[in-house]
Order: sequence, then structure tokens, then C-alpha cells
Amino acid sequence: MPAPTALHEIVHESPAARERSVDDWGRDGRLIRLLAPVASLRWDVSVVGSAHVRRGGALIIVNTRTLALTPVFVAWALSEALDRPVRFVGRPDTVPFGPLLQRVGGLLAQPTEVAGALRAGEVVLLGAAATRSSRQAGSIDPALLAAAIREQVPVYVAASTSTMFGRQITVDVAPPLRMSRRRRGPLAEVELAEQAQHRLQSMLDSPAGPVGPR
Amino acid sequence: MRGQRVLVSGMGSELGSLVASLLEAEPWVDALEGIDIDPPRRRLRKAVFHRIDPHNRERVVDVVTRFDPHVVIHVAVWEPDARVNTATAVRLTDDAATSILGAAAECPALERIVVRSAAEIYGRSHGSLTRPDESAPTMPTSQFGRMAARIEATANDVGARAGVSVGALRLASVLGPHVPSPLGRLLRMAAVPFSVLADPPFAVLRDLDAATALVTAARVGLAEPLNIVAPGAITAWQAIRRGGRLPLPNIGPEWALTRRLSQLFGAPVPEHVVETLHRGRLIDGARAHEVLGFRPTATTPEVIDSLYAWPSVVHVTRTDLGSVEVGVA
Repeated sequence: MPAPTALHEIVHESPAARERSVDDWGRDGRLIRLLAPVASLRWDVSVVGSAHVRRGGALIIVNTRTLALTPVFVAWALSEALDRPVRFVGRPDTVPFGPLLQRVGGLLAQPTEVAGALRAGEVVLLGAAATRSSRQAGSIDPALLAAAIREQVPVYVAASTSTMFGRQITVDVAPPLRMSRRRRGPLAEVELAEQAQHRLQSMLDSPAGPVGPR
Repeated sequence: MRGQRVLVSGMGSELGSLVASLLEAEPWVDALEGIDIDPPRRRLRKAVFHRIDPHNRERVVDVVTRFDPHVVIHVAVWEPDARVNTATAVRLTDDAATSILGAAAECPALERIVVRSAAEIYGRSHGSLTRPDESAPTMPTSQFGRMAARIEATANDVGARAGVSVGALRLASVLGPHVPSPLGRLLRMAAVPFSVLADPPFAVLRDLDAATALVTAARVGLAEPLNIVAPGAITAWQAIRRGGRLPLPNIGPEWALTRRLSQLFGAPVPEHVVETLHRGRLIDGARAHEVLGFRPTATTPEVIDSLYAWPSVVHVTRTDLGSVEVGVA
């Protein structure tokens, strides 16, 4: 049933409106493009090392600072650098923030959810536990890392430096982690989580900053 | 695999008759019969149709056992507020599952069963997965989801007892030009309510893709549950914008009033549709391609666009009608 003409006038459609849809996970690329200029007023993110990230599914672990929205802006910056969507883990499942963060690329912090995204060939960004200083790497949830081991996707660490009021942020992606020992049981994710945290900390402690020689 | 006898339950429905028309063109189908409470919605050239109330178990058992099918495609599922109200939909669906699948278990030739299930089977409780795949636990949170869970349980029970394979296709909301869908009906209204604070994404499926998946599953002898969904997703607000409808923002408590008003205007909004608009409904359909080699032909935004492109009234001329060749037993 075509809507009455008057209603068409009320809800005037622009050509852009006809393009509106979201992807399979509910991420709205158009909304992110709309928000990007606003985000650039607050953050000026430069990404190095994105060439390390191969095609297909990947899990990237980033250090986070308390109240800094690190996973959000790092995911957006990496999306731009990689030219493919990067989804971050940790959206709530409550209205209105849950659906809003889903639209900008958020996933629930559940191992099954992360595993599903990795299996679908998505790049997933997982924040380490938030710390007060951007020079300190927090712990990493092994249960979420287990999804990457199960789906056999590479795990990367990305060191980010930011300050409370500064705009300049650097994100440095390192080559994929290699497990020192093969484990068949849950020690695999526990050891990988520790390795990732140590790797992140060493990048942050580097005298040249995270973007140092590797 | 030639010479197969195929029984389609729910052949009178839009989806059932579409499945039957596709089966008529399949070389492996030798004989095709169908059962439903309503006559088929399209012309079928070879199929034999039996108009039986699913509650009439004796007649169902008699017809099914006499036909002795190799394959049963169970499409006799009444989505709440699609063709009948929720209470009647529950009764008819449960009766059909018990009588038709029960009768199929008595057939010595039976080799496989394919049932139409629904994405609502996963439920949308707090913290449930954004995009569940087939390995996700089924925790239905709506009446339609619980109906789908009961159908799968009945089919699996029959399959285990009769020693035949059972495949379940968990379909996203099926939309098509003539499909009686409460979601489609709601989206086509002049003013469409949506959840302004949430506006979560959902995915749908074109009727022809749903029918093709059912026929493919029957042909390959699917023996597991599979999600069937069109690629992409859309939110209610985006659908409203694409259709040029008037958006009616709802926050929460007024949904009860909106549902009543919508029913007055001819588009009842069942529990699972409210859930879709409040909580979203996405499923992972990747495995269908691996197992069936099946890819939907239309994306979710395309299905939504065609929903708005369908004319309300189709004038059929005498020459279009031709002769009705539905075999009614």
C-alpha cells in the first residue's frame, strides 16, 4: 500500500536515506562516517603497523585507559587504516547504550560472540583491563582469548598512548603473537593472555614509545 | 535418488505452495502430496492436495500412511497473527506437528524429514548473542520461538524413533508479495511504530529463498539445524525511511497502546515482532552455504525495498487465470 502523498512530504527521502542499512552484525558504516568529523575534534589518531594484520579473522588486543573510550576510537582508526570494519568487544546489552554501541561496531563481551565474529572473518578489537595510565597494560581476559585459539586466528597486540586532555593518540600494531609452547588445554589461553600483556607492556615501556624499532 | 514420494504439510500456505511448485520441477520427485487446512495459494500441476484439519488425526494418519512418503517437508507452521491469532496458531501448529509428523513415523518408506523452524527459537533475553549460529543454545523468549522449539523437538523425537534424518531450517522472518507476515504488514502501514531508544538491527528472508532452502534441504537429506537468512541487516528506522513511512517513536510503556491501535488498523503486532523491534534479531547463516551450497538471492535491504514496491491490489484478468489444475483429493 503506497503511503499517502502527505506522508511522503512529511518523511522526505533523500538519496542517502535510501542507502541506509547496517551490516550483518548491526554496524552502521554511514553513522560512523557521520560521527567521524565529531570524533576527530577530540582524537587525532595515527596508526602504524596495520600492515601486519592479514586478511581474514584477527583478534587485536589493545591497552585501555580508564574513561578514555580507547576500544571505540582505536577500532575506528584501525577500520580506516585497514579499510575493513573492526569491531570492538564490550558493548552493554542495555538500552540506549547497547544498541548505539552496536551501531558503531560493538560486540558483547562473551566468548561465543567473539568466536562467531572471528569465524566470520571479522577483525575484533579486545581491550585489556583499563588502567589509570596509558603507559600501563592491564590484564586480559583469557576466556575471550580462547575464542581466537579455538578459531585459529592470529592474535595481535596494539599499544596505544593517550593523555587525559590531549588529542594526539598513537596506535602501534605489532606482528602476530607466537605461542612459546603448544598447549592442548586451558593453559593455552592463560599463557597467551600473559604473553600479550607482557608484549604490550614492553611496547609501552620502550624508550622510543610504542612506535619504536621492532 | 529418483522416484521419491514427497509429502508437504502446510501446502496451502504461501510458503508451502511455493515449496510444492518448486518440487514439481525437481527430477527426483516422483509423487507429491500435500496436507493443509486451507487450499493452496497457487496453481499446482502435479501435486495432490488433501484439505484436512490437523486436529483430525485419524484422517491425517490415513492419508499419510497410504501415501507412504520417502520425504516429509513440514511447513505446517502458523506464525502468530499472520493468518490466525496467536492462540489458534499455537493450537494448529502443535496439532499439525503431532498428527503429521506422528503419522510420518508410521510410514515404512520414510527416509528423511525437513521442518520449517524459526530464528525466534534462539530467544532475545538479556545478554543473548547478537548473531547466534546453530551451536548457540535455544532459549526462546516468545510464543513463536517456543512453537519452533516444540516442532524441532517433535521432529527429532520422530526421527530418533523411526531412524530417519531430521533437518530443521531456522528461517528469519519470511517476507514476500503474498506472504501473510505480521512484520511485513506492520512495516507497510502508513505510520510505523519503532523503538526510538533501541532501534536494533534485524534480518529477513525472501519467500522464494526460504522455499529454495527447504527444497534443497530435502534433496540433500539435511540432518541438522541450519539458519537461513538474507545477508545484511536493517533497523526499523532505516526500513521506515526506505519505505517513506511516517515513523512513530516509542520509548517503552506505550507499546501496549501501540499494539492495540495497530491491531485496530489491521496489523496486529505479536510478541515476537515487538521483540524484533525492541531487541533486534540477527542470525549467522554462513553454515547454510557450507552444508547446502545455498545462498539467498536477495539481501535484507533488497527484501525490504521490494516489500514497499509490491502493489496492494493485483488485478488478474481472465486470461491470466487460465484453468485451475490443483488436484484435490
